[in-house]
Amino acid sequence: MAGYRAEDDYDYLFKVVLIGDSGVGKSNLLSRFTRNEFNLESKSTIGVEFATRSLNVDGKVIKAQIWDTAGQERYRAITSAYYRGAVGALLVYDVTRRTTFENVERWLKELRDHTDPNIVVMLIGNKSDLRHLVAIPTDDGREFAEKESLYFMETSALEATNVESAFAEVLTQIYRIVSKKAVETGDDAAAAASAPGKGEKINIKDDVSAMKRPGCCSN
Amino acid sequence: MRNGREGDRGREAGEGSGETPAGNSSLNLEWRFNQTLRNVQGLLKGRTFPGKILLTRKSEPHNDPVSLEPSPELGRSYSENELGSSESINSGSEGSAQVSGDMINNTKLQKTKSSITFGEGSSPDVQRSISEGRSTDSARLTKFTKELSGQTVVLENLRELAWSGIPPYMRPNIWRLLLGYAPPNSDRREGVLARKRREYLECVSLYYDIPDSERSDDEITMLRQIAVDCPRTVPDVTFFQHALVQKSLERILYTWAIRHPASGYVQGINDLVTPFLIVFLSEHLSGNVEDWSISDLSPDKISNVEADCYWCLSKLLDGMQDHYTFAQPGIQRLVFKLKELVRRIDEPVSKHMEEQGLEFLQFAFRWFNCLLIREIPFHLVTRLWDTYLAEGDALPEFLVYIFASFLLTWSDALQKYDFQEMVMFLQHLPTHGWTHQELEMVLSRAYMWHAMFNSSPSHLAS
Ligand SMILES: Nc1nc2c(ncn2[C@@H]2O[C@H](COP(=O)(O)OP(=O)(O)OP(=O)(O)O)[C@@H](O)[C@H]2O)c(=O)[nH]1
Ligand SMILES: [Mg+2]
Repeated sequence: MAGYRAEDDYDYLFKVVLIGDSGVGKSNLLSRFTRNEFNLESKSTIGVEFATRSLNVDGKVIKAQIWDTAGQERYRAITSAYYRGAVGALLVYDVTRRTTFENVERWLKELRDHTDPNIVVMLIGNKSDLRHLVAIPTDDGREFAEKESLYFMETSALEATNVESAFAEVLTQIYRIVSKKAVETGDDAAAAASAPGKGEKINIKDDVSAMKRPGCCSN
Repeated sequence: MRNGREGDRGREAGEGSGETPAGNSSLNLEWRFNQTLRNVQGLLKGRTFPGKILLTRKSEPHNDPVSLEPSPELGRSYSENELGSSESINSGSEGSAQVSGDMINNTKLQKTKSSITFGEGSSPDVQRSISEGRSTDSARLTKFTKELSGQTVVLENLRELAWSGIPPYMRPNIWRLLLGYAPPNSDRREGVLARKRREYLECVSLYYDIPDSERSDDEITMLRQIAVDCPRTVPDVTFFQHALVQKSLERILYTWAIRHPASGYVQGINDLVTPFLIVFLSEHLSGNVEDWSISDLSPDKISNVEADCYWCLSKLLDGMQDHYTFAQPGIQRLVFKLKELVRRIDEPVSKHMEEQGLEFLQFAFRWFNCLLIREIPFHLVTRLWDTYLAEGDALPEFLVYIFASFLLTWSDALQKYDFQEMVMFLQHLPTHGWTHQELEMVLSRAYMWHAMFNSSPSHLAS
């Protein structure tokens, strides 16, 4: 048992959502992070899509279950159902299109309406590679993020700039909150408030057992 | 909304117009039924395409990175099917109704009889007729020609024929007829089409060819969304990337959206234009789609094609208005029906999905929204649409059967997966290597299940 780690073995499972206007690059951020792929003409996301990746944080394996949502307004009714249970969110805009930045406020409200107040949110200005087309100066993004107490980063899914760090930062912050809560109170309520798990590995596995491959890990 | 084809027939017969005796109706049914059995038969015979083709993507010229990772589970489940001879056909419906088993037996019995149609396929002709879903079978060609030659096309007969696939060169005309865009009366046809095409051009100049200053904010948002989506429309077929095609697509979508304010433009509708574009352009361009050059066409021709696409899209979506309105209730309703139908047909899969917490909305939403265009290779889409358009008003209900059949193609595989694996699998279904054979199988089974389950539809009422 010792030393062996099944691919699907993890200490924490965190649900994260990707939201923001259509065409800002949500699906490409996801494919860059989970498969190291970029697609110049990616199809629009209809409804929701989903991918996972595991990361190491403080010696713990964190598995991110990331839900990529459709950006068009019409799909909001369908996609908001998937916000439930999310402990992290990446709210993406396109640094070359002002309207996508203007809509961030609406997305934030949408998120606040459907998720736990403790959710970790990062504002992301994507397509930073298009330097000559930038319509939103970095400072504007950062300022807005500070005002709303969001984390902030500029990324390029195309050049793979900051994609890894953005996801890693969000997951680390979630982990900090969850493990701190578990240490402070050690009760289920605290853990339930922000993450599907508490400090003890075995309990977490029990909590998420529905997600595990049957018969793969026996506790 | 009509209840489905058989229901309709029953009603027609019951109403006693005298023209359609009950016997004729059941004859049609039987004909279709035999057709189905032959399809199944053909699939049994032609099963020289196990996991390998699916995994090597022989006929796939474009790189889709996802499919480069062969799934071991998949290979396994296919080879299991391979061993199972006729049972493999039933793999999607194990433990389902008795009727299904009987049908498979019938299929077996008929094996020798129909093996002429589906011989080992050494001659190219046979191969071709299989790969074209038998739409080029000469007897069928004659029937099509006969149906079309009358002064007034009898749509019900045409639907009957078209259901099993339309010969490619007849497709443009037949689609226009089936959708009610071209009138059945051949004397009026040219005149009506010419008028409709002019009407479209007027709409374009009225709504599209205007400065942004004359558009409302919502209209600008919509136009932007369409502009974002056009380059992302079936991107694996490079033909659609041509600037002229992109412009046509944009005009069609925007004009349609403006004229249908209840829904407006909804992402995914862009996909639905593509089969029309391909089919109506095929009247003017020949050979492989990837080699087409739209700049060879005169602006007049392009404009006519565009108008036809517009009207046919409109006709298609008229029957599915609430699929694209707020919260998309039409799709939600059909997703619910799909779930119910799958529960009836394949209890084990249904139970497994439920236990894993997988909701049908998570995968089937896109199926209904884009009518499966995203899920199968593009070269099979027009054949699939022959059946769609033949269903006419009954299409939304019949989609439920097609999608159930499509889903249960992977009944065995799904039962081995946990929640995450299922979601990922269903997002990227291994259909890259699909040929007409797999598609015919899906359609035949949908047809059988429709015949079996639609007669007692009370369980499906929501
Ligand atoms: N230059 C550049 N283009 C990008 C970047 N990320 C995405 N794109 C392009 O932007 C377009 C839209 O990307 P998607 O990832 O599909 O956008 P989305 O937010 O998922 O869109 P919806 O699914 O419609 O909500 C595609 O053409 C991408 O190639 C980036 O970092 N740089
Ligand atoms: Mg997307």
